[in-house]
Amino acid sequence: MSNLTYLLVGFFLPLFPFSIGFNVLFTRVNHWPLRLALLLVWPQIGLALLARADVPPPHWILTWAMATALLYSLRLLAMRELGGWIAFLATAAWGLLWLLAQAPAAGGLSLHALWFSLPLVMLALLGASLERRFGGAYTGIYQGLAQGMPRFSAILVVTVLAAVATPPAPSFFSMLSAFLNATPMLMLGLAALWLLWTWAAARLLQGLIVGPGNCRSQADLKPSGAWVYTAALVALIALGAALPGGLA
Amino acid sequence: MSLSLGQSLKIRAMVHVAAEPIPFFWPMRTFIHHNPLHGLEHLPFTEAVQQGERLFHARGFLPRSAYQQYLAEGKVDRERLVARVAAFAAARTAIPEIDLERWLLAALDDARETTCPARSLAGAADVRAALDAAPATAAPLAAEEIRQRLRAELLGDRPVYEAVDALYGTDIGSELDELVIKSCLDFFDEGQSVWGMPEREQGFFTAWRDVARRNVRLFLRGLHINRILDQADTAEGIIAHVMHTLGIEQDRWMECFTRELARLHGWAGFIRWRASAKHYYWNQHYPGDLVDFMAIRLTLALALLNERGRRNMSCTATAIAEAIETRHEEVYLRQQFHGGHLIPAMAAKVERALALGEKRRIGRVFDEYCACQRADEAARQAHRLRVLAQAAGQESELSGLAAEDLGRLLQTLRVFEQHEGSLWLDAMEAHAMGRLLQGIDLRTPPTREKRPFVQALFCIDTRSERIRRQLEGVGDYQTFGIAGFFGVPVSFMDIGKGSETHLCPVLLTPKNLVPEISAATTQDEPAVTALEKAMHELKESVLTPFVTVEAIGLLFGFDMIGKTLIPQSYNRWRKRLHPDKPPTRLLLDKLSREQADSIVRAVQRAVIVKAVEQEFGLEPERITDAMIRELRETALGHQQSSELVACELGLDREGEGAFVDRLRTEYRINPSFAQVQLERLGRIGFSVDEQTLFVGQALRAIGLDKGFSRFILLVGHGSSSENNPYESALDCGACGGNHGLVSARVLAQMANKAEVRRRLQRQGIDIPDDAWFVPALHNTTTDELKLYDLELLPPSHLVYLDRLRNGLAAASRLCAAERMPTLETPGSQTRDPSDAYRRALRNAMDWSQVRPEWGLSRNAYFVIGRRHLTQGLALEGRAFLHSYDYRLDSRQRLLATILTGPLVVGQWINMEHYFSTVDNESFGSGSKVYHNVAGRFGVMTGNLSDLRTGLPSQTVLKDGRPFHEPLRLITLIEAPFEHALRAIESVVAVKHLVENGWLKMLVVDPQSAQVSLFEDGQWRHRPLASATHPNPLLEPIA
Repeated sequence: MSNLTYLLVGFFLPLFPFSIGFNVLFTRVNHWPLRLALLLVWPQIGLALLARADVPPPHWILTWAMATALLYSLRLLAMRELGGWIAFLATAAWGLLWLLAQAPAAGGLSLHALWFSLPLVMLALLGASLERRFGGAYTGIYQGLAQGMPRFSAILVVTVLAAVATPPAPSFFSMLSAFLNATPMLMLGLAALWLLWTWAAARLLQGLIVGPGNCRSQADLKPSGAWVYTAALVALIALGAALPGGLA
Repeated sequence: MSLSLGQSLKIRAMVHVAAEPIPFFWPMRTFIHHNPLHGLEHLPFTEAVQQGERLFHARGFLPRSAYQQYLAEGKVDRERLVARVAAFAAARTAIPEIDLERWLLAALDDARETTCPARSLAGAADVRAALDAAPATAAPLAAEEIRQRLRAELLGDRPVYEAVDALYGTDIGSELDELVIKSCLDFFDEGQSVWGMPEREQGFFTAWRDVARRNVRLFLRGLHINRILDQADTAEGIIAHVMHTLGIEQDRWMECFTRELARLHGWAGFIRWRASAKHYYWNQHYPGDLVDFMAIRLTLALALLNERGRRNMSCTATAIAEAIETRHEEVYLRQQFHGGHLIPAMAAKVERALALGEKRRIGRVFDEYCACQRADEAARQAHRLRVLAQAAGQESELSGLAAEDLGRLLQTLRVFEQHEGSLWLDAMEAHAMGRLLQGIDLRTPPTREKRPFVQALFCIDTRSERIRRQLEGVGDYQTFGIAGFFGVPVSFMDIGKGSETHLCPVLLTPKNLVPEISAATTQDEPAVTALEKAMHELKESVLTPFVTVEAIGLLFGFDMIGKTLIPQSYNRWRKRLHPDKPPTRLLLDKLSREQADSIVRAVQRAVIVKAVEQEFGLEPERITDAMIRELRETALGHQQSSELVACELGLDREGEGAFVDRLRTEYRINPSFAQVQLERLGRIGFSVDEQTLFVGQALRAIGLDKGFSRFILLVGHGSSSENNPYESALDCGACGGNHGLVSARVLAQMANKAEVRRRLQRQGIDIPDDAWFVPALHNTTTDELKLYDLELLPPSHLVYLDRLRNGLAAASRLCAAERMPTLETPGSQTRDPSDAYRRALRNAMDWSQVRPEWGLSRNAYFVIGRRHLTQGLALEGRAFLHSYDYRLDSRQRLLATILTGPLVVGQWINMEHYFSTVDNESFGSGSKVYHNVAGRFGVMTGNLSDLRTGLPSQTVLKDGRPFHEPLRLITLIEAPFEHALRAIESVVAVKHLVENGWLKMLVVDPQSAQVSLFEDGQWRHRPLASATHPNPLLEPIA
């Protein structure tokens, strides 16, 4: 595979500065079904292109991917808009697919991409729900969702944790796979990445969930909606444990 | 910068005056209830509340929903509320087609939130357009309007760092508070820290400056403190330097200081009190005042601003003012963004524009944002107006309202909503007053044929009301109410302690000292006490965590298990390990000159004996009286050197001279110190005249001048609880936040003295020989009534003791049965007296209990009159009851005394509860669960916060709702109107409280059966006979 093709893949399994393309596109698209589609399809295009290569990606690409992931993870800390936050996390997470592709048994890459994308899809749905209620999904403006919207908050917390690869979410097992196949330097990078994700998640939740709260007038998730989300999360965790977790 | 003396004094004066609105905070060892707005009491209540709200960022009234709940529960006088609303509506200009009264009542009855925000970009035309679902008005906002709004919010008395935080989200304010709190904790510590701050004797600012100059952590954080401290040597100089550097005009300094102090008003209040307490040990040794505090705060503020101000930020008042003038769009967007007011839909766009910093882009986003904000606010107001119109039944009238009239309606609603708290409060108080007036009994009680079995004098405290009622119900008991220090201001020195405790309201300073002396032989310190001391020292040691944590941890673990699982049995067992307090006597009589001289001589002799023992190692048998006498006389300068002593001690002339000098300087055997000792001894005790005066005054004040019983109980009160920093808040306020037993013992000892009785007899108070005053303690946590000094009881009385004890025990159990259900959850309540009493005992010993009792919560009334006035009325522990018989007080002196002391203390208690309830976070102290003791004098929330000054939420709230009903103290005086008025007029402080509406004053005239109430700036009189009306105060004037 030529370097040019790798650069083309770098648009979809984002490598900086090609990653800007996805991020601009995602934040400009205000139609939420399109956003969901982007989250699901975008990495799969990259993986399809990558599948045409017979050899694992070269090491310089892996370093580049890791640097991109770290850069976006760092930016994640300061991002207050949920849409942008999802885009940054997706960029950082999909960069790890390069590491997974380098593994000797690189099969199931599409599934790994899915494990990273699915929690983000749910998060995007929750973000759309926040935008409907408040006009925007932004941290630090309307805090204290836990008091006014307890069901929504509970779902949001679990989804965010799943998105940042907290065990036993499937993305955790994907992360673990990447970790096991990485060089010591990349391992350090992965550990830093994970730290940044969890830190960013804590900041995001703190800016939305806790505090005195001024959102009492907003309706909480309906119980039926909460059940649907709960079922989806349980299914996600069960699948994660069964497939990448190896319990199946 | 060096300041002239005049400039320094000016700054000191400014800080002093600026601190006046900050209330004192007393150390919590003796919790003093106080009005958080005491410094604003010169203003009318509503005005002071407004100022307090602004100054302390607090709320002065409950939210509307809480009052609506009270209304639903029948605790608000609706008739009064309607009348007040009508009066408000009548004072406003009429709006065509709008029934204003209906609108306002609809707002109070049905609306959950306010209709109009205090500030809004949306004008009446915008709201009209929103109501008509028409496009929003295109008229742009005037730039000057925005600038004015920004000036008001960012400049003025607002600290510069607060404005910087509001514009850049820097959070300097929190960081500054944290640094200042740490400095205060270091300096003001009263023994909690193992390692103290060095050089504290030099004063707060000087000690802090020395440490700060060498503080590497501050340096590493980028705070260049030295550069600021180099600018001036004194605290005043630093203040002037910082204020000049920040560009604040001098005529605004004072208001800026007030705002600075109000940010940490707990610490500021403590330092203010401490600086004024000249007798306070810690202040005498480690002085510090608010000028020091201000200098430290401003130094750190400037250092933080310098550190943050490197990135093109406006960090002085001048720079902020300039930014408002030249870049108001950016400043406005910044303020919205960092202030958390941003419209979520625009948040990302605003953030991007500010990050890029392009002026044209910012201008565009500003226009878009303002249009969006106007539309949003207009839509919100329109929605609320529609809801209100529907509730008022005037929807069609709202539809047809012109924009101009709509503007007037909105303005009226805005003003009304700003003032509605006082309307609700007034209506609640009217209901409470009506209830009291309906229940009082003005009929003269029938004359008693025989004297009662027992007369008991209780503190006026609200908790005494319940136990008095129960005691009166179980037998022939007559009770009286009097301030818990029984009118005798005492400075008490507890046995084994060297410090004095003032047992009187903080308004008074006692002159007489009463030491407690053991009447038993000295005992060796038991092993368990020594072990506890060793444990305590180990716990405080820095090295303990490294070496002995396992062993000590295990011991503490046992302690914890015992306290948690079986608190009653465990505490009883632990108490048994300690010896009982030995029987003691109070040294109450004045010493004669000879006695005082003799005591000083004895002390000097004892000191010299010790000195000789220590310095020369002589055995006691070799130290003769003659030697000591010679040494003493020489040291006092009564004679030249003594050869006998020199010979006995084996000293030459020089050696003997040196030893005598040491006796004079180090052992203080010299004439001047002897004089000081004599003066101190002169403070001990009361003369017989004084004792007669205090006893006579106490008895006359409550109307007890004849018909004395065999037992006259003097019942002080106190509380007992475990692990409770607020324990003293539950003790007797009239005794300065201490137990009231000592005061009871003092008065009993005085009143039982034959000489005092003889003199009282000459004054017309004839106390029979078989009448005996017995001190007692009412434990308000358990309701136990315990008698003291029974060994002094005449043998003739012992036969009645069982009956008395049974009566007291019955009253205790009944009182617990009445009280305990209010402390428990609905499912677990008990009405069984024994069970309730047992649970109350457990409460007092349970270290996990955050609410051992309700204390003075729900206080509402202060009744000054005879007992029969309220005897038939169960006041549920809500009334301070002070006995008073106006017929014994023709010159109103006793009434004036009651108003000056007890009433003022009652008002402080009432206001403390009021404000702690309406805003527990700002005026109260939040939840006890997160409290930590700070420096042994206060509590903080978490590990670092302002000192929490008010009452904890567990004292005033239950399940998140107010348990205490926040009302101003309803004071009722039973006396002819002119009589009461003369007394009120003679006490200026109380007169102002009444006139400024800090308490509600009612005078009930038993002769004319007329009630007088001070309201709306004048006295209104109504006949009380109309008690059949639900609220006699609302009856039309006859």
